[in-house]
Amino acid sequence: MSQLTQRSNRFLTRIYRNRYLYLLLFPGLVFMLVFRYLPMGGLVIAFKDYMLRLGIWGSPWVGLKHFRFIFTQNLDFPNLLRNTLSINILKLLFYFPAPIVLALMINEVQSLRLKRTIQTAVYLPHFVSWVVFGTIVMQFLSPRTGLVNAVIQAFGGTPVYFMQESEYFWGIVVISEIWKSAGWGTIMYLSALTAINQELYEAARIDGANRLQCTLHISLPGISDTIVVLLLLQIGQMMEVGFEQIYVLCKPIVYDVGDVISTYIYRVGIGNAQFSMTAAVGLFQSVVGLILIATANGVCKKLFDKRLW
Amino acid sequence: MMKKRSRSRNSFSYRLIIAALVFFAVLCVIPFWYVMVTSFSDPQLVKEGQFRILPTGYSLQAYEMLFRDQRFFSGLGITVFRTVVGTSLSVLVQTAMAYALAKRFLPGQALLTRLVVFTLLFNGGIIPNYLVIQKLHLLDTVWALILPMGFNPWNVMLLISFFAALPASLEESAKIDGANDLLIYSRIAIPLSLPAVATILLFIAVRHWNELMDGIIYIHASNLKPMQVYLVELVMRTQMSSMIEPTEQNITSVSMQTAVIFASCLPIIILYPFLQKYFVTGIMVGAVKG
Repeated sequence: MSQLTQRSNRFLTRIYRNRYLYLLLFPGLVFMLVFRYLPMGGLVIAFKDYMLRLGIWGSPWVGLKHFRFIFTQNLDFPNLLRNTLSINILKLLFYFPAPIVLALMINEVQSLRLKRTIQTAVYLPHFVSWVVFGTIVMQFLSPRTGLVNAVIQAFGGTPVYFMQESEYFWGIVVISEIWKSAGWGTIMYLSALTAINQELYEAARIDGANRLQCTLHISLPGISDTIVVLLLLQIGQMMEVGFEQIYVLCKPIVYDVGDVISTYIYRVGIGNAQFSMTAAVGLFQSVVGLILIATANGVCKKLFDKRLW
Repeated sequence: MMKKRSRSRNSFSYRLIIAALVFFAVLCVIPFWYVMVTSFSDPQLVKEGQFRILPTGYSLQAYEMLFRDQRFFSGLGITVFRTVVGTSLSVLVQTAMAYALAKRFLPGQALLTRLVVFTLLFNGGIIPNYLVIQKLHLLDTVWALILPMGFNPWNVMLLISFFAALPASLEESAKIDGANDLLIYSRIAIPLSLPAVATILLFIAVRHWNELMDGIIYIHASNLKPMQVYLVELVMRTQMSSMIEPTEQNITSVSMQTAVIFASCLPIIILYPFLQKYFVTGIMVGAVKG
């Protein structure tokens, strides 16, 4: 008994000694609990029929009703799932490698001034919003005043209504993402590249390796850790498409290919006050995302002995 | 050595790489040049749809239209307010939290760090966030744009890795001199990690300046809408009206859109060269390995 009180006294002393550290921690903890963990608790409304009048706790439980509705009756849902997954798979195939290739190329530039200038230019689009960038993309693609259609017409073609035809939408999303984000995406790879021992390159050159061989056998393995980590994160995002890009680019006329889970939750959930059903959609999205990233992490741990956490 | 180097500089593959990089770099700058040129051109000529390298028929008409719009100024005011107040708050909260979590000896540190990491992997989503904002009576207040960004797990993890790398000896000697943790945090840790803090500050400020989604979801009063919402509504109004009747007046709004874009990007373009030195390579390594 006395041993126990002694131990708890020692524990309290340790807490007291660090009281200022807890004080520093406190505001962040409150913000985290209120704005990250409280909403997780709010997910219970996915299993209830939420009514504003009754509040979150007063609303009646309905079990899996909303999930049954989503998977069997909601005619929008298969479409949302297809669009979300298609856009993400296309981004994984075409957007994900872009910063890697770009970083490897920038790494080859020997003039420091040229390198800096290129970096400055390619980082720039990251610093403007999707509203700004998406508006510019739409103006470039405009059939009447756009630059792209001016070029098409100069070569004798007829103007294309890019933003109003479903077949172009996914391509526009992926290309505009590369255009806006590939440059900034190089920053992690470039910092990993600077950590590579330069003597490796010297030795390889003496052995007669050419530029491509150096890239494939020194640079690429040198950034493989970074690639794995970013790949895991990208896979974890498989169920999420950035709301703002789609919100700006997707017009009602191309909803069949452009409506994704986040834009749907916003429009139907908040717009039509269908809170419970769309919270269920959101919960499904978050849980699948969590499973995906945990699986990817496990696989990477097993195969490459590299992991995120 | 020199010989080898100059040979590789002139090789075909090297020139190809440089050409491709310069092409992409130009592609990244074109939108900004286009916006500037278009916004200062005569709206009547812009609607004819010719992209020129220099303004065609220099005109301030688009800006005159814009500056007559009261909503633009209220949007700008809200955005400036949320950026200044929100960034200060977030930087204070996140650096303090990260400083404490970087102390491995602190009882509860491991558990709390796990709680931070979990928010990276799982979130409540749009609807529960909305309900929390509603329950806190923050809907239609500027605080709905500021408070939820107070905590950010990415930034906290990045800062933890920075504070953990600080030499412990400095803090220990300060402690022997009788300084408490608050003093060490504000007088030693923050000044020593200024590059990291500046980077985080920059990220948060850009995020506040550019954020659209929270303004759309949480703000309905037109005098509280931030600038990005003003811009997106302007664009959508144009598209609606041009579908109904493609009149001249709404074609000139291409000019007005570019004027808003240029005005909203101006602070970023002006500050960009000064801030650039903070994206020092290596700053992100800690975040990845976190």
